[in-house]
Amino acid sequence: MENSQRYPFVASDMDFGEAGFRPYLPLILSYQGKSSNVMGLLDSGAMVNVLPHSVRVELGAIWNEQTTHLQLTGNLAQVEARVLLIGARVDTFPSVRLAFAWTKTDNVPLLLGQINFFREFNICFYRSELAFEISQKR
Amino acid sequence: MSTQIVELIPRLHDLKRSEKLYVIQFLVSELAQEEGDLIRPDLAYPIWSPYDSFGAASVLLNALAEDKEIAYGE
Repeated sequence: MENSQRYPFVASDMDFGEAGFRPYLPLILSYQGKSSNVMGLLDSGAMVNVLPHSVRVELGAIWNEQTTHLQLTGNLAQVEARVLLIGARVDTFPSVRLAFAWTKTDNVPLLLGQINFFREFNICFYRSELAFEISQKR
Repeated sequence: MSTQIVELIPRLHDLKRSEKLYVIQFLVSELAQEEGDLIRPDLAYPIWSPYDSFGAASVLLNALAEDKEIAYGE
């Protein structure tokens, strides 16, 4: 891929050996003047980006100010979720606007899904090499 | 190909038919064992992906479009 950045998979649980490696992407989220360094799990199977509730601490987002409700599915079907638009910066790529399903639980990783992370970035996985490459959309 | 495989192929070629079948069975067994090591029994593997949240995805797209309108007056 042109102008791409390569990242290693991250060992999230050493007890699992190779099975414990996952494609986490470091990125900086920014919201109303505050920013936070986070690790997002690249999840091409997720329809939407998902944000755990804990971002309220570092980004200062207020739950009751987000009035657009969302219904999620799967493990998250029972969890309340609301729309939160956040600025995001990956490596040296220009900042983008990401729309998240902000959930009212911390028992979920920050997921980067089809809408709209994969709409903004192209990703190529090299699982056999425990690496992935990312480039911004043309 | 690695040097090991290059050296191995002529030796495999010279094996009897029954020996070749034994080698195939051995490799299949080895691969199955390795796969089994990656996914362990009696452990929970949560799947968080909201893989069919089409309605939620549509709401997010609308929110982005409205945000763009406000930012750029489009």
